[in-house]
Amino acid sequence: MTKKTAFRIFLIGTLSSAALFLWATYDTQRQVATLSHVDKLSDEVVAGKRVFERHNCNDCHTILGFGAYYAPDLTRVVQRVGDDGIRFRVKHPEQAFANSWRKMPQQNLSDREISDLVAFFTWVGEVNNNDWPPQDSRKRISRGEQMMVAKVGVSPGAAVFQTKGCMNCHSLNGTGGTFGPALDKIGASLSAEEIGKYVRNPKGVNPKAMMPSQKDNLSERELEEVARFLANMK
Amino acid sequence: MEYRSQKVAYWYFAAALPLFVLQIFLGLYLAFSYTFTVPQSVVDVFPFATARAMHTNLLVLWMLLGFMGGTYYIVPEETNSEIFSVKLAYLQLIALLAIGVIALVGFFFGWTKGRPLLEIPPPLNYFVVVGALIFLFNVGMTMIKANRWTATQGTLLGGLVFLAVLYLFGVPFYRNEVTDWYYWWWVIHLWVEGAWELITASIFAFVLMKLTGVERVVVEKWLYVEIGLFLFTGLAGTGHHYYWIGAPRYWLWIGGIFSALEPLPIILMLVDTMNHVKERKNPIVNRLTWTYAVGCAVMHFIGAGIWGFLHTLPQINYYTHGSQVTASHGHLAFFGAYALLNLMTFYYAMPKMKGIVEYDDTRGKYGFWMMTCAMMLMGLTFGVAGVLQSYVERVLGMGFMTAQSYMRLWMGATFFIGIIFLAGVLTTVTDLLTIRPKVRAQA
Repeated sequence: MTKKTAFRIFLIGTLSSAALFLWATYDTQRQVATLSHVDKLSDEVVAGKRVFERHNCNDCHTILGFGAYYAPDLTRVVQRVGDDGIRFRVKHPEQAFANSWRKMPQQNLSDREISDLVAFFTWVGEVNNNDWPPQDSRKRISRGEQMMVAKVGVSPGAAVFQTKGCMNCHSLNGTGGTFGPALDKIGASLSAEEIGKYVRNPKGVNPKAMMPSQKDNLSERELEEVARFLANMK
Repeated sequence: MEYRSQKVAYWYFAAALPLFVLQIFLGLYLAFSYTFTVPQSVVDVFPFATARAMHTNLLVLWMLLGFMGGTYYIVPEETNSEIFSVKLAYLQLIALLAIGVIALVGFFFGWTKGRPLLEIPPPLNYFVVVGALIFLFNVGMTMIKANRWTATQGTLLGGLVFLAVLYLFGVPFYRNEVTDWYYWWWVIHLWVEGAWELITASIFAFVLMKLTGVERVVVEKWLYVEIGLFLFTGLAGTGHHYYWIGAPRYWLWIGGIFSALEPLPIILMLVDTMNHVKERKNPIVNRLTWTYAVGCAVMHFIGAGIWGFLHTLPQINYYTHGSQVTASHGHLAFFGAYALLNLMTFYYAMPKMKGIVEYDDTRGKYGFWMMTCAMMLMGLTFGVAGVLQSYVERVLGMGFMTAQSYMRLWMGATFFIGIIFLAGVLTTVTDLLTIRPKVRAQA
């Protein structure tokens, strides 16, 4: 091989890849409006994005999987913890994370800024991004749930509890989140029906409840299974 | 050292080294925060996010200073001429350092653009652009005036121009988060898998040529093939960052295929280095410089080649994306490809600029091995944590903090190995700054 041939290899390699890349960029620009629902990209959402950046949130959290890995991904945070959950965590991190061994800083945001932030997360949560992240994907987790029931032989309710995000806030036997109460003894005070009712609409039972309603997150069958499972925790 | 103006490089290197040390201290704070509870009162004042912004920006700053110093060292020898303006080179160094210090202090007080790795806020980032333009002007004028073009020089200039142009895509505010990430990767990915690879490939070619004495025509022939492959796989390979951001689905194919090929140029570089070392025409005078050259090629291959390949396919990346697996890859790749390259250049050039032909490499050897072994281990501990996270959080769906509690042990191990790494860095930096001639025992 001569130096001239080598130079040709360099030229062809670079130009062909660049051509493909630039074409795909052009096409992506065309499609991104639909994929990210640009019609819903309001000034409020953009204001929220500015709040998100001004407070450097992205250097602890990831969003769309990018950023730092110190705190949970925020792509589907609205689906996961609900509007109120976000508001409480941002407004009173010292309370929200009092029992957590990892803390979140107090950012001193106004209510307006927090609303913008929620609008931003709501918009991001609807971006069509090939169903990522898996932990918040309804499709994937149902598969994990089936797998656990079939292979490991856990009860269907236990599988729901583990795979449907309950453990983001609640714990069993010391494993799980510290945001909500531990549920090791929940069956001693509540029956399966009462648990089911609460999970469907927490605010209906206790107006001060922080927990988001799971009616859209869980099917009727899953709701019953998880309630029965928890009622046995005595 | 053949030209007086090459001496500028020394100050670039000397400025880069303390920043490297500072970067590691902040890294330790980050690993500590993953393992132990930092109380609310501290978190409110000095959050993880601030430390992380400092950690990553220090990395970029010291490495860019290294590249720039390297350029000022190489260009005179390649062009057979003095640098166009030595004053401008010093001015640019002072300007960049000032920007860096202001940015770091600014981060502490919450002055940030809030985009990871590109936190330097406007108008400070405009000054970064001005600094880059001064640098390019100075280097470009030197080359144009000398008019003695070589492939090494061309690649270097091409890489530097590409680097500066790409930075511009990170400057504007994007309303759409999806578009924002799309162009964020034009800076980050096309830097590390495009522009920076061009710069390192040419610096590496230069040092190999000088060190081994292998003919220019052979070294530069392979340089063309390498950078051709780097850009062929790297440009379209940007697609592996577009899987889950809301870009069209064909990126899974483009990203998957091209990034699966990304190890090829790195393998070629490794084989090529080994061949040049084997067919050397020069005797090995400073063994440590050679160790760095080979170490860089090997660690570049492990960190960027293997570790990158492991989680680049969409089927795997779906579970590992945005987890500690990425941190593992990032640390190994940056260390292997860029930290070792810069340190190799420092070990090659700094003794020469002090007029030392053969330097005492006792301390330097300890430094190299402590850093390299510790980083390899850290790659593994981050990796184990990442696999645990992918499984517990993403496959089982047990929640972020549950996964973190399983990972805690491994992040703790990372912290303690990080202390060894710091010791290695301190040894290396001290050695470089106080490098001494080798004293031969009297016969």
